[in-house]
Amino acid sequence: MSDNGNIEPAGRGLTAAEYVLGVLDAEERRAAERRIAQDAVFAREVAFWEEKLGGLAEAVAPVEPPAGTWARIAAAIDRVQSAGVEKGGIWNNLPLWRGLALAASTLAAACIAALIYVGTVAPPAPLLARLDAESGQAGFVAAVSPGGTTLTIVPASLLSADQQAMELWLIPDGEKPHSLGLIDPDRPVTISVPEDLLPKISTNAVLAVSLEPPGGSPTGQPTGPVIADGKLAAL
Amino acid sequence: MDAEVRRKQLSAAIHRVAGGDRAALRVVYDATSAKLFGVCLRILNDRTEAEDVLQDVYLTVWRKASAFDETRASPITWLVAIARNRAIDRARGSGAARLNEPIETAESVADPAPLAAETVEATQESTRLYSCLEELEARAAKAIRAAFLDGLTYEQLAEREKVPLGTMKSWIRRGLARLRECLER
Repeated sequence: MSDNGNIEPAGRGLTAAEYVLGVLDAEERRAAERRIAQDAVFAREVAFWEEKLGGLAEAVAPVEPPAGTWARIAAAIDRVQSAGVEKGGIWNNLPLWRGLALAASTLAAACIAALIYVGTVAPPAPLLARLDAESGQAGFVAAVSPGGTTLTIVPASLLSADQQAMELWLIPDGEKPHSLGLIDPDRPVTISVPEDLLPKISTNAVLAVSLEPPGGSPTGQPTGPVIADGKLAAL
Repeated sequence: MDAEVRRKQLSAAIHRVAGGDRAALRVVYDATSAKLFGVCLRILNDRTEAEDVLQDVYLTVWRKASAFDETRASPITWLVAIARNRAIDRARGSGAARLNEPIETAESVADPAPLAAETVEATQESTRLYSCLEELEARAAKAIRAAFLDGLTYEQLAEREKVPLGTMKSWIRRGLARLRECLER
């Protein structure tokens, strides 16, 4: 048996195991997570290895966490919940969104959701964008309110960014990206469009989502990979 | 309390969390936080960071409890997976600070013989895993355990064991392929 890694059948079929084992670097982990969201066979492989390798955790001795930890968790939940009430319960109802997203077509569900939302604001004449991932699968659907002052972005598939933030960018035709702020891969987010960008929200402008450090891009321009993008179009 | 009963109670609590029951989250926390803190601490080697990640883990549980499917995962495995993923992501973000310890040292720090009361349920599953690991080459089994417990990349493992990167990848991949064969038997 040689120690030369090249004679191995590479890592073929083992990416799920490598992800669960934890040997991949940050970029490879993001790629694996996107695959979990998009590839059911791969997701099952990951679940298989999580269940099988999970037993190794038996070797780790429990350590009592610091006393104040629970209080901090409870306080964070309070903040999440009060924010959720302001935004309206349905937008934060993850099981509902998951259910919708998994039913038949994730894209159709997200479109319908975006339209229902816009429809409650004013008669529909909205701009919509479908932000596709590299795989061609819809990552997000965005709907601009008829007045163009707010934009709702709805995750269409299960994405995970873990430590990284997802930042939304408006890229008017021929211009540099303008940040529209951070979004949440788990639930719809409604963004108030800054006044100076209002005129730039128009057909053919591109919306893009990039991965950024927590808190967003430090430079005002995208610094991480773009995970989904798409053009605004009138419905 | 019998492991199967604990497992059922924990599953039930996670399902209540999915319904927005905060008291149920406290039940999950009380039953599992020491284990998960141990897991995070082992990977991060820093109490402050581990506590930070632990908070994040239970907030994730709060938000994603509805994704838990007890027909596909045992509750503690599901929780350990969340904790490991968060801790590994944190470790990847904070660079390569922990390369110098050889694997032997790391294992001697935190591999006490599992005590019955403290363990993740000693299931048939894990008994099978350990017997399959014993069928692997010793260095592959050791590398796989170190990777899982310490959350190290191929590069970090190779550096720690002072072998070329390709060699470490080869050990682990060969080991994982054999492990799968054995686990599926």
